[in-house]
Amino acid sequence: MIGMTSVGPLILVLLACVAFAIALGVSLLSLRADATNNSNGRAIIPHRLLGKTCVYWGTLLILGALIWQCVAQGRWTPLEDNFQCLLCLGLLLAGFVLYIQYKRPIGGLDWFLLPIVIVLLISAGLFGRFVPRAYSNSAWDWTHRTSSYLGAVAFAVASAAGAMYLIANRRLRAKVALPNVHVASLERLERMTLEAVTLGFALLTIGLITGLVKALHGQSTLGKYWITSPKVILSAAVWIVYALVLHSPINPRFRGRWVAMLSILGFVLMLGTLIAVQFMPGGNR
Amino acid sequence: MDRLLLLGMNHATAPLAVRERLAVAEARQAHAISQFQQRFPESEIVLLSTCNRIEIYTVAKGQAETEEIAKFLPDFHGLAAGDFDSHWYRKTEKEVAQHLFTVTASLDSIVLGETQIIGQVRDAYELARTSGSAGPLLHPLFQKALAVGRQVMTQTALGAGRLSIASTAVDYAKSIFDRFGDKTVLCIGAGKMARLVISHFHNLRPGRLLICNRDQTKAEALAAEFNGKAVSFMELTSHLAHADIVITSTGATQPIITRTMFESVLKLRRYRPIFIVDIAVPRDVENSVGQLEHVYLYNIDDLQQVVSATQSQRSGEIESARALVRAAVEEFAAWHRNRQMGPAIEQLYARYHGLAQEELARITNRYPDMPTEQRQQLEEMVRRIVNKLLHDPIQTLKNADAQHAPISQYLHAMNKLFHLDEGDGKSA
Repeated sequence: MIGMTSVGPLILVLLACVAFAIALGVSLLSLRADATNNSNGRAIIPHRLLGKTCVYWGTLLILGALIWQCVAQGRWTPLEDNFQCLLCLGLLLAGFVLYIQYKRPIGGLDWFLLPIVIVLLISAGLFGRFVPRAYSNSAWDWTHRTSSYLGAVAFAVASAAGAMYLIANRRLRAKVALPNVHVASLERLERMTLEAVTLGFALLTIGLITGLVKALHGQSTLGKYWITSPKVILSAAVWIVYALVLHSPINPRFRGRWVAMLSILGFVLMLGTLIAVQFMPGGNR
Repeated sequence: MDRLLLLGMNHATAPLAVRERLAVAEARQAHAISQFQQRFPESEIVLLSTCNRIEIYTVAKGQAETEEIAKFLPDFHGLAAGDFDSHWYRKTEKEVAQHLFTVTASLDSIVLGETQIIGQVRDAYELARTSGSAGPLLHPLFQKALAVGRQVMTQTALGAGRLSIASTAVDYAKSIFDRFGDKTVLCIGAGKMARLVISHFHNLRPGRLLICNRDQTKAEALAAEFNGKAVSFMELTSHLAHADIVITSTGATQPIITRTMFESVLKLRRYRPIFIVDIAVPRDVENSVGQLEHVYLYNIDDLQQVVSATQSQRSGEIESARALVRAAVEEFAAWHRNRQMGPAIEQLYARYHGLAQEELARITNRYPDMPTEQRQQLEEMVRRIVNKLLHDPIQTLKNADAQHAPISQYLHAMNKLFHLDEGDGKSA
């Protein structure tokens, strides 16, 4: 049953936004914080714990909003409508931030990913509430949506790592003092970008193939001229950009800065695709 | 009159590009000292040439000689002296001690608290000592300086938790590379600095450590110490193609890694990132190599500037170290003053006690029957009067503030006022 989003999940989404905004603010403030050195010479960043706790609670709040929405609708499969899709994207990204910070922290990753999470949550709150869109539920459609959204998460991670690479590279070339916050090495950022792009590219390819199958079987909501729709054109552009990124091990001249810049470009195009899905005529319905 | 003189340039007054032109390699320092002594006979000299500074500590006869000394190093290298005029600083007398003690206490280093400077000052002094170029003024000056350096390192926490060039280089390597087990570290040169930096990189447990040096024996010795491998200097290009981190610290006077050479190396290494730490002065790697994509080139100035930006939090220790330096400077200045004034004061005492004895003899000759006891009392009285009369002017001279007027002026005034230059025996 698809209907207007209830107030309860929206309040949870709002609280999650606040939690992530606090986490982001704390993380950015730590850059300016007068880091003191303990006996091991390791920098202690004030309020780091507060930031982590906020991300943790923000993630739980999104999960709570999703469960609430599922309970309200009486259906337990996520990605039922664009509200859930945007929440799922936010949840996966926030979960990724938590996972990385737990496994092997990368200082500054949250500066790039948390704003994306906040934008996704705000979008869910604004557009999910007033323009609820139901999706069809064929296997092709579900695979298409799942792989496309998971691919988008991977590309968001790749673009964050790419942006961090560009900043770290610029600082290293400018020979400025290293920041108090431990930012990952260029090698790790490049590897993370390539791994995320590889995963995202595979998922995007699956999404494109399933979308193509849908279109060929006349299940597409894009109509007869689906091939010229902005969504398809932008998706193809995203695919080509990331194919170029994956080309870098073969042509090493492309490595480093080029990989980072193309990853960011690909994600910008990906965002365009998401906007096309949400707003343009013939988007997902 | 002999004057302590310092002529130098350091990281604050001259960029690396200037310093490296005048730097005197360790192997040539003895020759430079010998040349200096030929040009300025009977002079004292200690030559301190490190990556951060080139300083000549000497004893000058006058202003004209000071200007001549400024031309010495450019002439030694066959360069035009005028090119360096704006970079020199000149210090005399107490300022020399103040500067040297500050240097030895590592307060003038970009990396405050680094201990290497004490070793460098010690080496410079040792060379002067063995060359016989350190004399009665420079011996005590440098001995005091080394004592101050040790005192600062042991009595303050200036050196505690310091960031060194080597540790900063390691931090930068960690910002570029994630893992080191699959990396190759190539060290070009096998000197002290190279050894110091390698010891830090060795802790990263790199996959391979290659030591490349013209003198293969030295390379093998260093390689054995760090479980590395000595490789041929002739195959440098090939080693560069395989290396991920390069440390260069040779005594070459011209760059051994040029841009043209490195462009071809980049292709061979398939544009893998490379981190080059060039701690040699003069530099071993052309500056333009650092402009190439995937190349991260840091020279000694780059690393030191970064380190200095992190030192503000140790201001308390810096003040303690400065206090020790100030005390030592005053101590040395007092010793130096006494040394200069001692002969004049002795002359003054001799002259006035002589005059008093003459007058006493005149009286006692009139009274030949004067008992010995009375004669002795009279002698004692005369001696005490002379001492009391001279006490105030001599104390004033001993405590004379050299900043107010040069010691030479006091001595000149003393000679004129008390006619010391006329010799003993003449009446005042």
